[in-house]
Amino acid sequence: MAPRKQNGASTNVSTRQATPAPEEVLPKEINSLPPVIGINFGNSYASIGAFTKESVVECIANEDGERQIACAISFHNEELYIGNQAKAQLVKNAANTITGFRNLLGKKFSSLPKEVTENTTSCQPIPFPGQPETIGYAVSVLASAPSHVVSPNPSVPPSAAPSNAPTPRPSSPSQAFETRYLTVREVTAIFLRSLVKSAEDFLGKTVEGIVVTVPATFTEEAKDELEGAAKDIGVRVLQLLDEAGAAAGVTTSEAWTAAGAGTDEEQAAQLALLPDRTQLIVDLGSSSLSLHLLSIRQGLAYVLAHSSTSSVGSQAIDDKLIAFFATDFTKKTKVALSVSAPSSGKPLPNQSVHDARAEAKLRLAIEHTKRTLSASPGAATCSVESLKEGVDFNGSINRLRFDMIAAPVYAAVAAEVTKLLTSGEVTLDAHQIDEIVYVGGSTALPGLDQRLLVECGFREDIATPFARGVVVGGGVGDPTTVLARGCAVQAGCLWALVGSASKEDAELLESFSRHPETKAAKALDVRATTRTIGVVFPGEVDGADEDSIEKQVGGLFVPLILHETALPARRAVSLDVEVAEGSGAKVVAEVWEVEEGVKVEKIVIPRDEEDAEDEDEEDEEDIVKKPTLVKKSLLGVVEFAPKLAIKTAKGKGAASSRTQGKTYTRVQVVGVVGVDGKVDVDVEEVGAGADVQGAKGAVHVPAL
Amino acid sequence: MASVQVLSVVAPVVPGSYKAENVASSSRISPPHPSGHRTLLPVGPAYLSQLRLALHHNNEFSSFDLHLAAERERLAALHGNDAVGEDDLGVGDEEETPELLALDPKEWKKQDNYAVLGLSHLRYKATAEQIKIAHRKKVLKHHPDKKAGTTSTANSLYLDGVNTNDDAFFKCIQKAHEVLTNPEKRRQYDSVDHAFLEAEEELPTASEIKNKKLDFFKTLGPVFEMYSRFSKVQPVPGLGQNDATKQEVEAFYDFWYNFDSWRSFEWLDKEVNEGSDSRDDKRYTEKKNKAERARRKKEDIAKVRGLVDMALSLDPRIKRIKEEEKAAREAKKKGNTPGAPAKKTKQQEEEEKKKLEEEAKKKEEEEAAARAEAKKAKAAAANAAKKARRQQRAAEEAAA
Repeated sequence: MAPRKQNGASTNVSTRQATPAPEEVLPKEINSLPPVIGINFGNSYASIGAFTKESVVECIANEDGERQIACAISFHNEELYIGNQAKAQLVKNAANTITGFRNLLGKKFSSLPKEVTENTTSCQPIPFPGQPETIGYAVSVLASAPSHVVSPNPSVPPSAAPSNAPTPRPSSPSQAFETRYLTVREVTAIFLRSLVKSAEDFLGKTVEGIVVTVPATFTEEAKDELEGAAKDIGVRVLQLLDEAGAAAGVTTSEAWTAAGAGTDEEQAAQLALLPDRTQLIVDLGSSSLSLHLLSIRQGLAYVLAHSSTSSVGSQAIDDKLIAFFATDFTKKTKVALSVSAPSSGKPLPNQSVHDARAEAKLRLAIEHTKRTLSASPGAATCSVESLKEGVDFNGSINRLRFDMIAAPVYAAVAAEVTKLLTSGEVTLDAHQIDEIVYVGGSTALPGLDQRLLVECGFREDIATPFARGVVVGGGVGDPTTVLARGCAVQAGCLWALVGSASKEDAELLESFSRHPETKAAKALDVRATTRTIGVVFPGEVDGADEDSIEKQVGGLFVPLILHETALPARRAVSLDVEVAEGSGAKVVAEVWEVEEGVKVEKIVIPRDEEDAEDEDEEDEEDIVKKPTLVKKSLLGVVEFAPKLAIKTAKGKGAASSRTQGKTYTRVQVVGVVGVDGKVDVDVEEVGAGADVQGAKGAVHVPAL
Repeated sequence: MASVQVLSVVAPVVPGSYKAENVASSSRISPPHPSGHRTLLPVGPAYLSQLRLALHHNNEFSSFDLHLAAERERLAALHGNDAVGEDDLGVGDEEETPELLALDPKEWKKQDNYAVLGLSHLRYKATAEQIKIAHRKKVLKHHPDKKAGTTSTANSLYLDGVNTNDDAFFKCIQKAHEVLTNPEKRRQYDSVDHAFLEAEEELPTASEIKNKKLDFFKTLGPVFEMYSRFSKVQPVPGLGQNDATKQEVEAFYDFWYNFDSWRSFEWLDKEVNEGSDSRDDKRYTEKKNKAERARRKKEDIAKVRGLVDMALSLDPRIKRIKEEEKAAREAKKKGNTPGAPAKKTKQQEEEEKKKLEEEAKKKEEEEAAARAEAKKAKAAAANAAKKARRQQRAAEEAAA
């Protein structure tokens, strides 16, 4: 592997063809892994997903061993730092360090809010010289330095001078600092190039295509800019995927639905997720919160409702944590330290340069503290050398205290979730949500998960990455890597199409580009069912409660095609059906359209007798939610006498006493709903190894 | 076909009193959300499937299923080519008997190399690739490093009769591999292969076949097949069946009377005592070995010859063919066509014979004359050369 090029001179923002690419001399590994990567391009952090084994997607680390790569580039003398190294430059070299550039893509300078243009923590965006609406950055670099800084005039190609000229001494007095101007697009290109380079070093081959996340708020201009930046560095963008899509890419994959790590087979079967489920994606970024409610139907996902707000973000947690540690520092050392007021983000009028530097140091240090808190239940430390006036700081915080500090943010997230569910955009109760997926580093904090479960009224057995134990230890549910892996999965899917010679595949691939033909674009918009279609096997189900679904429908209900399923849809299930012995045996399957609901009951919990003395206290009320099912319309009935029924053995050898000596037959139900609303349900006996054709029946409902 | 989700629930018995509700003929599903109400997230293989379904298959599952089946076949064909490398080429795991495991590597000349590598079902038919795989398998199992962990129990006194000298068997494996991978050594070993020698002992004799009335083809067919492995010329014509034509039968006997075998007996040589300095000793042993080889080879040839003789004498087809020919001749005789040439008289035949003899004599004489002339010419040429040389020398002397 080539050593990482940190020197600005070697990282060139020109196309691959312009410079002799170093990767061409690398020994090409012959493996069948697709040469594509997924990039989660966040505003503060980016991550790279790639195929590490056959059909195994992982978030890979860059040369510094960082999986979360800070979106920052920093110029220092003639050097260029990218990623977390650049972030460290915020302490001393803030004016030459560019952060938060992604959100400025495609924006006009005049539309920028004041906080952005007047921030002091990093390089300020300015109008690009000569183009007052283009956002640019001014950085000071040593004269001979970075050839990657493309000259303002785009018609002049980047010079290849540094290779010929002797290497100038850094302290050469003849060199003067000069100001270079960069557009946001150029900054993005430099950053993307470093990500792609990291991936190429990891994979040992040239990256042929990338899938990049874009936030839902991205405008068309922003997407154009992003694609342009990728084009500048000679990388093909296969798809720009919005964040909900990237998350769905992972959550619909088999690796996700399988199970948590370290579980045995029996547990795994319980923890495995259903192919049809309703999923809530909570994406807590540093400066925004976006929520998506997805309907996932056998890998096919669409958004039922979504909301995003920039008023909630983990930045607030950071600010509070910094304030906490600053107070702690002052208390311990008697050195006054004033940091920005929590949540305002604006510098205090009386804040000195030293204070600002101390704050920047703390801001770097708490990243580590937060990660430790997420990973382990114990206390986490925060140590900063020479925080202020040469005094070191060594503090610690435990999870409980941290949760208390972060509680307002958690509460705000919970409120947003409740708001989304009650917004009227969708008629769903929190009880009907099957799974929560967390995205973003701050959601790895277990406190948020606990808070949400308590406040929003989710089902007790709702699947969250924490409940399934897949967050820590590089599990599939790791919120920091979900998006990158989702992009990589999608990139892998598309790469299969790129290699294909067939015209149909080319057409499919075309539909993923930004401006597809009308025909393909229409395929995205689908019709979807409004109510669940299922099969009722009438009879007395053992062990059914008074208000269980079995009692409500008078038999066993097997959902076939759930509500909110994209059409056309097809599902097949098989199950055992108990039949009576003798000639009167029959299998009956009623095809119903049902409506699912939730019954909310308030029950008063009787107080314990000990508490009876405090009479003024009111009885506690508890809200109990139960699923309900209302049969709406009967679509048809299938009735046949079983031919392949098998009687189970009696005696000790049999599986359980309940199933002994009874007759069963296995039935397979296949349901198809066409685009026009016509329904076909086939019910058929499927016996093992029998020569006899099983009995079967069908229900057909014509189109609307 | 969509993947079938197997549910772990059991549907109850239909109550006897059950009566199906009437299905209204007008019942339809509630109208779906209109197109555009939901926008799919363009991600994942499921979305690709949906897209294909919508764009190329007109939302018909039947047509889509055909496409999927074709795709699967195509992939299976692709993977089929890859999978060959992992195939063990029919080198299965043969049982290792205690006797086999107790083999002494010092007695390597006597060991059954195919059995050691677990190839006794293939023997001389084993390909180089198969031998390689079999060897690898055995090494994985019997390498001393592999066995190191288990020897402690094997060596314990309680386990009587358990083979403890795995190192010894590993040496046997290496020796067997060495022999079978070297074509020359393998040829020598195959010549005196244990299984072949055993089978050779039990060759059927003519009297056996006659007395026990054994089926000619079933008895001798495998025998010839067994020997055919030694033929330098391949493929070897088989004994064939009773209904073989005259040409086939003749070709068979022709081949086997001229059987060219590569079989040799170096393998059974007595070891030359390498340590001994006596050259005479060595030479003596070598001479003896050579003689022994020649003797064995001769015996082998005689054996094959005897076998073919026996087959010829017992072959029911020869009898049949003779009868057929006779019948044909008689048929010809009877149906004497007028245009046919008259039979030659005895006198004519004698004349012809004489003529031939004379011609042969003449030829011989001519040849003798030619030879004599050639001799003369040669001598003359030699003389001329001598003369020329003499003259040249004289000229050189004169010049000097």
